[in-house]
Amino acid sequence: MAMDPFDFPPELCSRPLALIGLTGLDTLNNAVHRTIWDAFSSNRRQYRAPVQFKLLDPAHEFPPMKPKRTSYDWYIPKGILKRNWMNKHLNEMPAVVVIFYELDWDDPFWNEKSIECSSRVQSVRAALEGRSTRIAVILVQQTAPLPTGEDMLAAERAAALCTSCELNSKSLFVLPHGDHLQGYTHRLENAFYDLAQNYYHHESRNIKAHRDHLNKTTHQYLFVRHLFKIGFLNELKQDGHTALKNYTQAYNNVLELRLVDTNALEVKTVAGFINYKLCKLMFQLSLPRDAIAQFRRHTDLFKNRIGPKNLVFEHHAWMSKQFCVFGDIFDEAIRQGLPALQTQHPGFYYQQAAQHAADRKEACLELCKAVNVYPEPDPLIGMEHLEFYGQRAWRPGKLSAEPPDPDKEKLGIVALQYQEKHLVNHSMIIIGLLGSAITQFKTYHCPRMRRHLVVQMAEEYYSSRDYGKALTLLTHMLWDYRCEKWWRLITNILTLALNCAYLSASIHDYVVLSLEALGTSSQFPFDQKTRIFNNFMKVLKKTAPDPEPDVHEDEMKHARDLWITAVNAEPLEIAVDMSNITACVESKARFTQPQYKADQYVEIEVFIRSSCPHPLQFSRLSVTVNNPNYSSEFAVCESSSQEAHASGNPLLLFRCNEVRSYVCRFLPDVQDVGKEIQIGSILLHLGSDKERSAILRFNGTGAETATSDGMCPELQHFRQSPQNMPDFDNVRPLSTTEIISRDSKLKLDILHAFPALLGEWYPIRITLENEENHKITGVSANIVLQTSGDEPNIEQSTQLCEDLTAESMPVPVILSVGDLEKDSSTEKCFYLRAHRVGNRNIAVKVTYTMIIKRDSERVENSCVKEEMINVPVVKPFDITAKFFSLRFEPIAKTFAKEPFIVMPYVNCASPCPLIIEDSSVELSQQVCSVDAKLESQLQSLRLKNGETGAEAFCVSVSEPSDQPVALGIYTLKWKREGSNGLVTSSSVTMPTVRVESAPLYVEMILPAHGWVRTPMAVSYHIHNYTTRLLQLELSMEASDAFMFAGHKQLKLRILPESVHKMDYNLYPLLSGLVALPRLRLTISDEIDMPIRQPQLTELLDRSLPSHVFVMPQGKGNPVAIKVVS
Amino acid sequence: MAVCVTVIGKENSPKYISCLNPELDLQFQYKVHTSLDVVEEKLSSVGKTSGDVRELYLGLLYSTEEHKIFGYVTNTKIKFIIVVESSNTLLRDNEVRTMFRKLHTIYTDVVCNPFHIPGDPIISKNFDATVKSIMSGNA
Repeated sequence: MAMDPFDFPPELCSRPLALIGLTGLDTLNNAVHRTIWDAFSSNRRQYRAPVQFKLLDPAHEFPPMKPKRTSYDWYIPKGILKRNWMNKHLNEMPAVVVIFYELDWDDPFWNEKSIECSSRVQSVRAALEGRSTRIAVILVQQTAPLPTGEDMLAAERAAALCTSCELNSKSLFVLPHGDHLQGYTHRLENAFYDLAQNYYHHESRNIKAHRDHLNKTTHQYLFVRHLFKIGFLNELKQDGHTALKNYTQAYNNVLELRLVDTNALEVKTVAGFINYKLCKLMFQLSLPRDAIAQFRRHTDLFKNRIGPKNLVFEHHAWMSKQFCVFGDIFDEAIRQGLPALQTQHPGFYYQQAAQHAADRKEACLELCKAVNVYPEPDPLIGMEHLEFYGQRAWRPGKLSAEPPDPDKEKLGIVALQYQEKHLVNHSMIIIGLLGSAITQFKTYHCPRMRRHLVVQMAEEYYSSRDYGKALTLLTHMLWDYRCEKWWRLITNILTLALNCAYLSASIHDYVVLSLEALGTSSQFPFDQKTRIFNNFMKVLKKTAPDPEPDVHEDEMKHARDLWITAVNAEPLEIAVDMSNITACVESKARFTQPQYKADQYVEIEVFIRSSCPHPLQFSRLSVTVNNPNYSSEFAVCESSSQEAHASGNPLLLFRCNEVRSYVCRFLPDVQDVGKEIQIGSILLHLGSDKERSAILRFNGTGAETATSDGMCPELQHFRQSPQNMPDFDNVRPLSTTEIISRDSKLKLDILHAFPALLGEWYPIRITLENEENHKITGVSANIVLQTSGDEPNIEQSTQLCEDLTAESMPVPVILSVGDLEKDSSTEKCFYLRAHRVGNRNIAVKVTYTMIIKRDSERVENSCVKEEMINVPVVKPFDITAKFFSLRFEPIAKTFAKEPFIVMPYVNCASPCPLIIEDSSVELSQQVCSVDAKLESQLQSLRLKNGETGAEAFCVSVSEPSDQPVALGIYTLKWKREGSNGLVTSSSVTMPTVRVESAPLYVEMILPAHGWVRTPMAVSYHIHNYTTRLLQLELSMEASDAFMFAGHKQLKLRILPESVHKMDYNLYPLLSGLVALPRLRLTISDEIDMPIRQPQLTELLDRSLPSHVFVMPQGKGNPVAIKVVS
Repeated sequence: MAVCVTVIGKENSPKYISCLNPELDLQFQYKVHTSLDVVEEKLSSVGKTSGDVRELYLGLLYSTEEHKIFGYVTNTKIKFIIVVESSNTLLRDNEVRTMFRKLHTIYTDVVCNPFHIPGDPIISKNFDATVKSIMSGNA
């Protein structure tokens, strides 16, 4: 492809950088020079000075200097902008030439070397004769320099060198190549940049000086040229604002040029260049609005300056280029951080560029129709080497005013037209631009604009005969437009897509598109639909369809060939997914119920509506049903006879707008119980299997695009529908249903006598009675303890078991029952034990299988019967214990080694009477029983609700303790009245008692009663529990009821931890409950006693009985009582 | 005055399209359809900033060399789009607003018709006639 004459030259588009020439560096052979060059030239980062370095060899020749013109009086310019000028200043003509020379201040051969250095400077200066290029010298030195002013030798020699080189002292630099090379080069670079700016400033002033010599009549071109040059030099100087000012003036001067056919190309080319520079600078200077305004002005001004009529395409190409390039600059500015808007972004410019490219193509088609021969000799020869931008190769440098040679002109135009026609791929240009625009519109949230552009792109692909790509794009776009129901646009796209499908003989697409085109949503007229229908039927009959209208003749033949092979190509079945298209056949399907029992027939209603204008005969209808594991297919209304099949099943013949409903019934698979099944798809076969057939696959929910429009389904009821047909619009699809297990006819009774008592094995009896019509097998009851929210750890406090003799089983307990004949029953029992009160919820789930006959087929059917029971658990007893002294007075504390009485009270809280089998006390270590053997006093006691039983044990505690002493554990063995054998033992911890120490203990041994006038022996045991000798005085007070023999008054000394016994004989005088003579103890030695008198008195009161019962004397001989003698 | 008047539904499907020149129907439909991008963007940005009563008139959506496209959105998200020729400099913002207000009024009449199913394309002689008069600038 020939280079587009409007492509912008690279020198225009590159960023202008000041050019610095470096000479005297031998980078090939000298490593030091190499590193210096690398330090300058590589790693050009953003923050470094905007300069470009060029390595010059010693004998470099600069572009020749043109002779200076003193007067412009007779000068007539040949063109506006020279092609070589920009490149010259960018890449060839350095602003600064830097001469490197290796020389140390203390070099032994200083004189010789300094002379050589100055001669080098001179030779460079000679090469630059006449130019104002700045010259700088860098001495490459081995040693690091001393601070300024300290090295006298250096200062002196530097001055000398400057003089000999005729160099400004500010242009002499020193570069020590040891450390910190980067730092030195960085600073040098900035120094060069300053020199360069200086140079460019000087150059631009030079050009400005010429302007005074120009006149408006003949030098209009020069005004433009000079201003452009000044602008460009200022750009090199990095002075954007001045550059912008000069470019603006240059642009205004371009506008003043008289535009005629001969110079149109040149003027527009230059105008485009200047506009490019302007816009780019404006964006760089953060003036995006100005840039856009400038571009608008530019296009407005030039859109009607078409130029030669025969080359209109050139104008469009130029316009297209302008827009495209502006899009590029805009895009670049955005990448640099400029914010863009949805309504103002590069996409619009690319779109316009594409539009102009399309205009160009159109113009080319029209203008270049007849051009088929390239003229000889080539009038375009030398196009690449013209002196000026935008001129014609056959008349270079001719002033525009001169009348052109008509023959040459004509040949040139023909050549251009030939090139335009044969060498330019318009479609690719348009598609490329559209692609850029599409990307931009996507970025700026314009999905619809993007779609429109994609359609345009597809149209372009179509016209470039790439039908496959066009079809792909179109089918994607169809979907989007369909969502928003722009039927008119869809019809348009469908037309094109059908053309593509026909021309590429893509049967699948052709079928899908035809189905959609025949639907109500497409707005094809009836005769078109008829044509499409006939073609569609032809495809199904394995013949080629008629060509689409307005298909190009040349293409038609090719397409026919394609169809000849395509009609017989495998596969013969075409699967069409109908869920995404709005075709002429619609379908909805629903389950009639949201749940089905396992033994019920599942019913699926299928509704089909055809909106095809011609009758449609389907060959087969089937429904696939999916469940989580597999899918099954059910045929609906299969015609039984072969004959009917041949002529077409009348049940599957649809006239226009006819709606039919079908019912599909099947029994659910037993394995689906508890699962959800789903209508997978509805399959409609069109055409016969022998020929080509299209399988239309619906998802059963109908074309539910209607709901996407926010349309309330309720409103559909207002729509009129034919009386004699199902109301298709109001069918609510129900695509899933649940299969639940059948109702079991097993009778399940659960017997138990609640409440359950804490700790007992509580029997629960279940009775199963088979009321099914068949024998059931594999019956098993699953007993599960339901956890409840309030009591999360209920499993840990509950046990379940089937057999009391065996270990308790982990939940869930499974009781296997085996088989049950019809009408027989069985009973099972299981036990529950709770260790905490509260409610227990127990689920009893009986599962079994049953063989039933279904469709003359034996089907195993599993059934479930579930029952819930609630068992409240209550305490059987409330057990409390009380403490008494030996005199049966309630006490709160006791004393070590003093006996006292414990009485457990058992209060029956169970609602049913309980039998206490036994009770026992297990005393703790420091407690011992006073009696040798503790015998239960509650054995075989029957307690009803609210009744209390009590027993008493006499115990003593061996040691005093600061802490209350635990007495032990009280255990009851009990059962429900009437229950056989199940004895439960419940234990409680008895309450604690405070035990204090007592130093002394007096025990009185006394018969249970005495007889009047019969002596009775009494003894007092005085225990000293201390480790000290106790001295006490004892006195026995006289009593009216008794005479007694023994010590009346005595001084006692009781050894540590010993017992003193005192014996008395009492002789009762009175009968009845009489007071005993009182024993008194007093402390004889006050000082050293571990016990005080009040304590002692309290002790005696507590431990000695005060009364004894004396019986009257019996008749006859009294029994002699042993008396202490 | 206007060259194309359209009513677009809540979910951006066309409910009514009328062009002065029926031959350009397709071109206008594409234009109107693409202008919905701007409408959507405007609606979404308005929704974020303020909760108070929205200005129904959206103003100029975008303009091309030949046409200017104006938009208006009712509170129920029904969009009215009017295309005018760029060369028609007589048309001020106020006139466009007036056209929209008229359109809104007659649209309300259509929706109030008990035989009109909301969401269906508008088929009404009266509506047609009023739209024609709006387009010709006589209304």
